[in-house]
Amino acid sequence: MTEYSRMAKGSYIVSGGTLGVSAPSVKVINLPFVPDYVELINYTQAITPAQHGIPFAFWDASVPPVTVSSVQYDTIAEVFNATPVLTTDSVRVGGGISAFSAGLALQYGARKQIIGATKANPVVFNVTAHGYSVGDIVVLEGLYQSSSTGMPQIAGMPFRISAVTDADHFSIVWDATGSNYTALSGSPVGSFVKKVLYPYLYEPGVNFIEAITLGTTTTIVTTTPHNYVVGQEIAFRIPNAWGTIELNSLPNVQSPGSPIYGYVVSVTDNQTFVCSINSSSYSAFVVNQPVTSVPGLTFPQVVAVGDVNTGGTLISSGSPLYPSPEFPTSTLRVPTINGPAIRGAFVNNTSAGFVIGAGASRTDTTSFVGGSDGDRIEWRAYLHDYSSP
Amino acid sequence: MILRDYIVSAASEINAGGGSNGFNPTNLGVSDFSLVATTLDTNNAYKFMSGIEGMDRFGTGPVRSAYFMLASTELQSDFDQLTSGTGGFLSQWNYPTNASALPSEYGSVFNIRILTSSEAPVARNAASNSVGTLSDVYYNTVLGKQAITHINQDGYSMNLIYRDPYYSGMLAQNATLAVKFAQAQAITQDTAIRNLLSTRLSNLGV
Repeated sequence: MTEYSRMAKGSYIVSGGTLGVSAPSVKVINLPFVPDYVELINYTQAITPAQHGIPFAFWDASVPPVTVSSVQYDTIAEVFNATPVLTTDSVRVGGGISAFSAGLALQYGARKQIIGATKANPVVFNVTAHGYSVGDIVVLEGLYQSSSTGMPQIAGMPFRISAVTDADHFSIVWDATGSNYTALSGSPVGSFVKKVLYPYLYEPGVNFIEAITLGTTTTIVTTTPHNYVVGQEIAFRIPNAWGTIELNSLPNVQSPGSPIYGYVVSVTDNQTFVCSINSSSYSAFVVNQPVTSVPGLTFPQVVAVGDVNTGGTLISSGSPLYPSPEFPTSTLRVPTINGPAIRGAFVNNTSAGFVIGAGASRTDTTSFVGGSDGDRIEWRAYLHDYSSP
Repeated sequence: MILRDYIVSAASEINAGGGSNGFNPTNLGVSDFSLVATTLDTNNAYKFMSGIEGMDRFGTGPVRSAYFMLASTELQSDFDQLTSGTGGFLSQWNYPTNASALPSEYGSVFNIRILTSSEAPVARNAASNSVGTLSDVYYNTVLGKQAITHINQDGYSMNLIYRDPYYSGMLAQNATLAVKFAQAQAITQDTAIRNLLSTRLSNLGV
């Protein structure tokens, strides 16, 4: 009966988060299968009981989530109370343990109505119970306040969520202070947001440009993590309306037939890098696009080219013998399940496994299933041959 | 599917603007085909196919040398409606000869020959217009000959593995079927590839 069951276990040290105060970073566990049951043992919190600690947690894919006050819960947690004695609690869907199978592009989460958005930088969106976390990638739709106002100029572009104010508000970084942008209010018809479920399947992917700082070198800010490394050769695709078209890799007039490319000379953070092109005399980047330009408006982009992509990670002191590529490339790097990749090739980052989220438990809202900094967590994941139901 | 999603993820995009349906991107207009072909020509991309010279046959017309566009079968009714004063869609059936037409080839517009597949990438309900109507967004990949490649590692490309039940488990209950491959993808010339994003004009009624 267990001929084709899969079992896996492992452990890791938690990074970030403080007991009873804040959640650690989301933890992604890649596996060669999609589990239907996962259990966690936080050895540190089990051995040293303290209020808000969660020593044990469980998740079963075949058990439907339980709805309490319109919120669904699917991860069961055992939480130490003030005594400390173990009590039972739960974590909302997506905030606790959840499985994933990242194989196909263009997969999105549920579409959610946008109630309003600020005319500011960053733009703060009001969406009831959005369920998003910092770092999630979302795509916006519509964004018309009327047929000629709103901010449809950024609909269709992917954005990284930069901040989550509360359960109903999140932010993206974009300069919407220009005269052509109008705040959204009153749940404009057709205005939605949805999460990109698997934004990093093939890296480094095409990136959309949020800002350009001109100078002897050129600083680029992208709307999502760029996933470039120092030495990466890049090309720009900036339509006329966005201004800095001199960066485009049209044929080089001094060397006919040769495109103009740049190189990444430094990576500032996951969404900012510096490129080698001297843009001191180039046109300014224009984000204040008119609403009338929207049907057919193509977004400014930068793409990886050439022979140095992030496909290969060099062996270095202390690294694995065959290091996997890691994304993003600045901080919070996550190794892919791949072995060493060919330098110069793009990385296939399709994967499966489970995620330990950053959500708090329902009753004790300052206890986190992911533990706190320095905790040792053991996980066990299963895919059963037979499950009833 | 891997190469398809890889191109969707890694190649740059142009939003169609030649159509009239009010979405961003719009439905495909003949000017979108002209724009993409011009872009690839300017970037010195190689065309896949030579032109087909006109012949003295009713209902046919010459075909230009062309790049390939990989598009969804759901756009075929849109292609049928593409016309302009300077030409427009030419069905594969109206080529002077079908000798060089591929089985999946639906027709051509200017310097682009269109191959359709039900596996072409589509983002469902991904665009919304000013009155809140939703539309699917299609990723139509237009590429020159030197645009992409894949690299076979370890000297093999792909293995189809079949193990009958006797060898797949001690209870001999189930067979095993798998595909194993060791490949890496590469865009060999980024200036020779574009994803032309579009919505759809016609209502499929499905």
